[in-house]
Amino acid sequence: MDFHLIAAQLLNGVALGAILALVALGLTIVFGLLGFVNFAHGAIFTCGAYGGWVVYTKTGSFVIAIAAALATAFVIGVVIERLLIRMFYNRPPEDQILVTFGLAIVLVELVRALFTGQTQLLPTPSWGQGIVNVGGIFYPQYRLEVVGIVAVTLAAIYIIIYRTKIGLIVRAGIDDPLVVNLLGIDVKRTFLLVFAMGAALAGLAGIIDSPMLAVNPDMGTEVLAQSFVVIVIGGVGSFGGAIVGGLIAGELVSLTTLFAPDYSQVFLYVAMALVLILRPKGLFGVEGRA
Amino acid sequence: MIARPWRLAHPRTAFIAMAIFLAVFPPLLTLIGGDVTLASRIVILALFGLGVDLIFGFTGLLSFGQAAFFGTGGFVAGYLLLHSVPNTLAALAVGTLAAALCGAVIGALSLRQVGVYFAMLTLAFGELFYFLDNSPLRGVTGGEGGLTDIPRPSLWLGFTTIDCASTTATYTFIAVTYFLAYLLMRRIIASPFGRILRAILENPERAAASGHATLRYKLIAFTIAAAYAGLAGGLFGSFQGSLSPDVFSLDISGEIIVVTVIGGAGTLIGPLVGSFVWVYLQHALQTVGPIAGIWKLLLGVIFVLLITGFRRGIVGGFTALLRSRRKRAAQA
Repeated sequence: MDFHLIAAQLLNGVALGAILALVALGLTIVFGLLGFVNFAHGAIFTCGAYGGWVVYTKTGSFVIAIAAALATAFVIGVVIERLLIRMFYNRPPEDQILVTFGLAIVLVELVRALFTGQTQLLPTPSWGQGIVNVGGIFYPQYRLEVVGIVAVTLAAIYIIIYRTKIGLIVRAGIDDPLVVNLLGIDVKRTFLLVFAMGAALAGLAGIIDSPMLAVNPDMGTEVLAQSFVVIVIGGVGSFGGAIVGGLIAGELVSLTTLFAPDYSQVFLYVAMALVLILRPKGLFGVEGRA
Repeated sequence: MIARPWRLAHPRTAFIAMAIFLAVFPPLLTLIGGDVTLASRIVILALFGLGVDLIFGFTGLLSFGQAAFFGTGGFVAGYLLLHSVPNTLAALAVGTLAAALCGAVIGALSLRQVGVYFAMLTLAFGELFYFLDNSPLRGVTGGEGGLTDIPRPSLWLGFTTIDCASTTATYTFIAVTYFLAYLLMRRIIASPFGRILRAILENPERAAASGHATLRYKLIAFTIAAAYAGLAGGLFGSFQGSLSPDVFSLDISGEIIVVTVIGGAGTLIGPLVGSFVWVYLQHALQTVGPIAGIWKLLLGVIFVLLITGFRRGIVGGFTALLRSRRKRAAQA
């Protein structure tokens, strides 16, 4: 088979993997730190994409659209944490899943009611329209930029959580909320911040994925399922696991698209089943919370 | 975990009440703008929900992959009816078995995990089935187009053959199937096996510590639920005359959970009530012009409110109300 084709597919796998890693990281941070799985994560991805798309059609600027997507998702995260999620921290995981699943229905149907179910196209931004020569392979510039945006975001999140005082408070608040409260720090606000940050990551993924995908109310469903695969492969609650798992999933989908297109999605789930049988905790999994 | 109302009415009472209800359901539905076809849809969904109630309401397993079994039962039965087996009962039986087999395999893989992990795994396996149906198996399943012209139920009883040519005859067949499945499920819940499932629901560690092989019990329950889903899928295909690959979608898995929880998980008739609410509201709102599109939004909001404040659903809330009134009456 043509070397260039394989190399291009490998790069495609990295771009897809980057998006998946970003979505999965949002899920895994909230789970790892709050012990809460957000089934509305895919719906927030969709809302972010729509927030960005609306602003793009008004302003024509993709950079402002990205900011709008982040803001949309962050605000949704804040609102649902305040109104609902907060009541569920001490309830059984099944209730947490059900309520976020219900929220996902509400959010997606709101999007459908506001913008119809029609598929919208978001063009590639002006700064991403070129073709770059990567070691002899001509490759769309935008996909490389996506990888760059994701890499910078991941690094920033890592630094915030593990290298700043805010991150320290967050981690301490999760370990022992009572003591942190006694020290005069509002733990509830910390949880709110973590939840909204996870949501913002989904929104960011939604907008930067849109030029490669298409914007419609159901775009988040497949992404949610795939990011579950990513965190099962990488290990639930693990920062590194989300990234490695994302890349593995991205490469699996892209390479099988090349060799056996019919099985491109199927293989992803087969890989998940294999990891589950051979290493139930995932590649980087830890017992309990991260 | 919140204790769920699992006490059931006397078998004879339930038997008679359910039989009467199923008989008068279509005319009642006609009074409020529905018809017998709508009744069939409601009862099929309720049959699907019986299995979900067994694993979620009575065992505490929240599966987001039930569409895999609904679709498998539907497509296997539908394919057989179209190609080789004219006998509806035989086709449904094979479809149900196929779904149960898939349930056993997926259950064996997923039940090693609990709670959140279990929900994520079943969701992912559900997606796997959706993509299997759509791409590698499209030669058999018809891919995007699905199966069309599936014959209506035709029952060969040895001495005579009943053709369900009319919608009423089809409803009768579906209602009788549901009735038998409902009685069987009551029997399962009331049996020692059902008691162990409830022990697992209330406290998995304690059930295991009491010497019960909880994993095996959960697997059996999961397989039974898959069989119910498969039977419902087979009936759905024959009732509708066609099957699209969407029967495998996450929407279906989510819908059946919403239906079961709205009606009341752990009550057995909850899925029937929830199914009525879901299908009837969809039908009724679609005729009301401007808000036709938002039926699902409305149901989503109702669902979220129920989860937040009224965890036992409609049936559970109602029985709790009755019980407290009776208690108050006894005190007076």
